Parts: sequence; C-alpha cells; structure tokens
Amino acid sequence: MGRGNRVFIICEGFDLGSFSRSIKDLTLISEAAHAPCQFDLLDCHDQSLRAGGRLLIDAGDTLQLMRDDGEILSQKGSGKGRFVQDLPDGPVRSALSGFPRLRALMSIGSGAIESFTFAGLDDLQKTQVRGRVMTLSSNDGQVTIAVVQPMQGYRHAFKTVCAALERVAIKEHGIAPVFQNLIPFAVPYQAKPKIRLEAEEPSIQVASDIIRSYLAVARQNEAGVIADTDTEFLHDYRVSLRRIRSVLSLFKGVFTPTQTAVLKQEFSDLMTPTGRVRDLDVWLLKKEQYFNLLPENLHAGMNVLFAQFAKERLRLWSELFNRFRSAPYEKQMNRLAAQFADTGTLHPGPDADRGAYDYARALIWKRYGKLCKQARRITPKTPDEAIHDLRIDCKKLRYLMEFFAPLFDSKAFKKIIKPLKKLQENLGLFNDCSVQQDALLRFVADQSNTKGRVDAQLALAVGGLIAVLGQKQKAERACVIASFQHFDSPSIQHLFHSLFHNPED
Amino acid sequence: MKIIACYSNKGGVGKTATSVNLAYAYAHAGHTVLLCDLDPQGASGFYLRVKPSKKLTDARFFEDVERFTKSIRASDFDGLDVLPANLTFRDFDVFLSRMRNKRSRLKKALTMAGSDYDVVILDCPPNFSTLSENVFKAADQIVVPVIPTTLSERTFDQLVGFFDQRKLPKKKLSAFFSMVQGRKTLHQDTIEAMRQKYPKRFLQTSIPFAADIERMGQNRAPVSIYAGRSAASLAYQSLYEELENTKGSAK
Repeated sequence: MGRGNRVFIICEGFDLGSFSRSIKDLTLISEAAHAPCQFDLLDCHDQSLRAGGRLLIDAGDTLQLMRDDGEILSQKGSGKGRFVQDLPDGPVRSALSGFPRLRALMSIGSGAIESFTFAGLDDLQKTQVRGRVMTLSSNDGQVTIAVVQPMQGYRHAFKTVCAALERVAIKEHGIAPVFQNLIPFAVPYQAKPKIRLEAEEPSIQVASDIIRSYLAVARQNEAGVIADTDTEFLHDYRVSLRRIRSVLSLFKGVFTPTQTAVLKQEFSDLMTPTGRVRDLDVWLLKKEQYFNLLPENLHAGMNVLFAQFAKERLRLWSELFNRFRSAPYEKQMNRLAAQFADTGTLHPGPDADRGAYDYARALIWKRYGKLCKQARRITPKTPDEAIHDLRIDCKKLRYLMEFFAPLFDSKAFKKIIKPLKKLQENLGLFNDCSVQQDALLRFVADQSNTKGRVDAQLALAVGGLIAVLGQKQKAERACVIASFQHFDSPSIQHLFHSLFHNPED
Repeated sequence: MKIIACYSNKGGVGKTATSVNLAYAYAHAGHTVLLCDLDPQGASGFYLRVKPSKKLTDARFFEDVERFTKSIRASDFDGLDVLPANLTFRDFDVFLSRMRNKRSRLKKALTMAGSDYDVVILDCPPNFSTLSENVFKAADQIVVPVIPTTLSERTFDQLVGFFDQRKLPKKKLSAFFSMVQGRKTLHQDTIEAMRQKYPKRFLQTSIPFAADIERMGQNRAPVSIYAGRSAASLAYQSLYEELENTKGSAK
C-alpha cells in the first residue's frame, strides 16, 4: 500500500458489516482476515519512531511499518530485542535505515491485533476500492486503523468510502492517537530532560532540580540494563550520574562542604561498578573496527582477546543485574530521590541563595577562563596529562552551559557549543586511545603466568593494537590543537564575554 | 514498455481469452500490465467486470492523452489495468483515415499514455484495416491464435501474405495453436503441416479446447483464478513463459 492511501483512526473496534450498510452503491466484503494474535509496538527507548510519526508493529512474525501518510511497509520476521541493522533485508529495514545503530528495538506496548483487508464491490462484483483494517487492543485502550487504497479509474468509490470513514474517525491528523489510546501512560524517555529555571531562583533549588531530574533519568535506564536490551541504557545511566556528580563538584558553595563530600562519594560509589562494563561495551561495540585495524594474521589473537572481553562483560553484567534488583540499591535510590525532592532536607552552603543567573555567569566565566589558560599553553611537546585535564575542563564547561542554558540566548549558546563539541570529540578520541592502550597493557599483565609470559598470539594482537592506537592518539593530538584554535576565535571569545562577563548587564 | 498484440484476421479463435489470460500471467509474474481492449464488442472488459468507458469516444482515443489515461481502470488483480472499449471503437478506421500519419497513431497514443506499464497487451478486432496496420506497426510482438482447421490455415496464409506484400517484419508474428482437440485427426494433421510450412512462426505451446476457458464468461475472471490447476490455466502460463523466454523480457 502506498501513494494516495488515506488513513483513518477510530478510537474503538470496527464492524465491517454495519459500516458497509452506511455506504450507497458499494458492498464492502472482508477478504484476507488474519486470526487475532499478539502484537508489540516497537520503538527504541526514546520513542524516536513515535516522535517521527511512525508506527512499527511486530505481530505474527511480520513487521509492519506505518507512516503518517498511510504508507504501510511490511516484511517477514520479528524485531523485538533486535537492532535494525540485524533485521533481514526488506522494505521495513530499509525504511528504518536512520534508526540509531546502538539502540535495540524494544516493546513499548503490547496487546492483541485483529486485521483484515476489504474490497468495495459494485453491482458487477467488480472491486472499485480496497482497504485494510487493523484493530489493536491493549490493557488501556482500543484503536482501529483503517487504510483506504484508491484504485485506478475508481476515484468516486474511494471518495465514498473515505467520506463514510470521516464520519466515524477522529479528526486529528497522523498516527499519534494510536499511541495515546494504546499506551496512554507511557512517557517518552528523555536523556536530557528540559529543566525549568528562573533567573532569580536560588542556586540550591537549581542544583536539587537538576540532580532530582537526572536521578530519575538514571532510574529509567535500570530496566534496560537489567534486560540488557542494548548498551545505551548503561551509558545513559552513567551519563546521568556523571551530570549529578558534576553539579556537586561545580556548584561550589551551594551545599555545605560536608554534605557535598558525602554526596560526591555516594554518587561516585554508584558509578564505580558500572565503569568496567562500559569500557568493555566500547571494546565490543567497535570489535569490527579493531579487527580491521590489524592484518588478518593477527586475528587469531584478537579472537582470544575479544572472547575474554565478552566473558568478562557477561560476568560483570550479571553482577550489575543482581545489584540493580537488590533491596539495598532500591532503598538507596529511593532515599536519594526523597532527599532531592525537598530542599528542606539539604544543608545549604554560603552560595545556596544566590540567584541562578548571577551564579551561572560567575561559574561559567571562571571555568571558561581556566580552560583557555590551560589550552593556550598546549604545544606538541606538552605531556598527555595536560590534554586529559583539558578534556575534563571542557566537559565541566559543557555541563555547566547545558544546565544553565534556559537562562541564556539559545542562538548564542548554539554558536559556542558547536566548536566546543568538536573539540570535545577530538579530546574524547584522544582519551579513548590512551585509556585503551593502558587497558590492553593491564589485560596482558593479568593474562601472563607467573613467569610473566603470555600466549604469543594474544601478545601479537595486543602489541599490534597498541601500536595502532598510539598512532591514532598522536594524530588526534594534532586535531585537538587545531580544534581549540577554532574554539578560541575572537568571535567566540566575544560571545563568552558578552554572555557571562558583561559588567553592565 | 513492450507492446504485445493479440491478433487474428479470423473471428472466434480465442483472441480475447488469450489477451485476458496472458495479461493476467504477466501481472501475476510481477509486471505492470495494461490490457487495452480495441475490440468494440468490449469482451476483455466484460471478462474483467470493467464497464465500457463512456468518455473515451470517437477520435479522443488517439488525440486526448489525459482522457485516455483517465479511462484506464484497475482490474481486481495487482498490476493489471484495463482500458475498456466502447461501441465508438468500431469507427476507428474512419477517424484514422482523417488523420496525418494514420498508420502510427496507435503507437503514439500508447507511448504517451502507457509508458508507466511494463507490458501493454492489445486485444484486437478481427479484420484487415487501418487499425490493424496500426497494430502491426505498434506491436513488438503479435500473438496469433490459430485453430488447427482448414479455414484458419487459410487466414494465417493471408496474414503472412499481407506481411510479405507490405514488407512488414514477419518475425513479429508468434502464432500458436488454439482450441486444440488432440483426438481430432484434422487438428493433428493441420498442426503438423503448418509447423512444417512455418517452422519459425509457431510457438511450442498449444492451448487446448477446454470448458474451463468457455466458463470465463460465467466467472468473469482469468482461468487461473477459478481453475488454477486446469490444463487451460497451465497452458496459458506456459504460453507466457515461452513468450517471455524466447523473445526477450518485458522490462
């Protein structure tokens, strides 16, 4: 079904017989009817398909993708728990080519589906119009999707059936009501929720709002980690906690030093058991790229290396699985959520009541100054540690700017963020190369026997990888210097000055 | 776009049944097909339950691309559309005689209106006329049903003679034996004689004389729809395959 189709959404079931009686000169008959079966609405965690006006139904070993304009694509196979790139070739997979590669398709709603196709016949029993009806029922609601397909030369019949459907269908355009009816309580996930800020809002309120929001984001990712749906759940979980930690370390003077220290330690401890799993995820996600970096005669050792990584990852993930499902963890997270739900339970520091706008300008300006001072000193001979420190400073500046973004001009912010992002990308790659070399050296040390010897194949592969990563790191270092110069341009300097350090403001 | 004409200068040889079943076979194989009913009796349209076109009258067929296109009707089968005939088609020769380039008007009309289709199949009326000359010129392939009897043999000789006389390319002619009754000696002898006489003109496939084909009028559908496993259905499928495999593909 394709061009020229019209889609109608009816917020209840659909009886073809009585509908047919409402139409003159045509008899609607049901053609291919599918027995009722289970369906899953598939999407990724952030419901990006839904946001893009698309509906993916997985039922009876068939995937059906429907667009706002009524185009329905279908192909054999099931998609639940799979990545789009791992689906068999077909029109649905092709249409989903822009879907995030790291996100698995997961069920965001389920229930029973009944479907049939119908034909509108004239007095000669000639088909003049065709259509398709799907009734989906979940625990929370029922919805019928009717798609009418025109046939060449029979425009009148098409219009007649569409007019009759218009009388029973909802007026709203698009497939959004399907989701609203079937999964009314599902809130789309946002990795970076919009947090409302007021210019005069006390800083302690801002800090606790941000922490509370990101604590909720972290919690929304726990189920995906437990189910091991895809690696992005753990990644987002970690990023949320990292944001919280950066609030605690960047918002100086908002809480008492004692409380800040206690909280910093607590959130650091929450992240610790996840670090190695994430490192291994990064290795495993880029497995193919690493294999491509080395000649084939070193692949035997690479296989050993990646088998060990996979094994270790499984072991550490099962520890996380148990941790996330444990009562003490649940209790701890609930306690933290309660603590930031009510600022009365927090211990205000000297800057707690300072207005958000004023406070933000001071923090960002100071951080920017520190960053530039450090970066301008970097030469090709500067030790790697200085580059690592720059990465951390960039991250801190970026977080600060994101936290306070609602208080500033968004256009100006975008202009600043763009070159900063580029710089951070280079720094990230530089850091990855460096961290991975260390990890490989540690790995070989762990694998060696008492005499310090390791399997020759493994050693060859690791040696090869370290050499390649070393080269890449060097190349990235040069990019870092170039990207910083771009970020340090007079126009960006001027923007920073006018946004965060204009004394007349 | 490939144009296949289903033509015979003799009536009642199974042209319309062949057009409809062949068109269905092409569509079923995944091609987009326009079955163009040039016979004013409108039997192709009747077999597919499509009512005669009311607005494609007189010379509009050759002159009004938009009206031609608007008159095309979807059949009940995926990929198969029909241009139904009406009684004014009987005057095609009159209109054509008044036009410039009167022998290439059909090709022009089909090229303009039928370019979206992989295959256009023409169900032609049985005569030698300006229209049939248009058909001979427009078609890439002319499928000729021949009943293996003396009269049909004679009309086929006439057709080949006409092609010789007008210096038309005879390689366009793909004849096949239609309504064959294997038990009749006359049929067997005629088939043998004609295959010897025209070794390059006859396809291997023959369509049997079958009640299933006669029932098309009652069922108003291609044979494969209501008698999919019948000898007649298989024969039409084989005719499609032979045409496709020996004379280049439809696309």
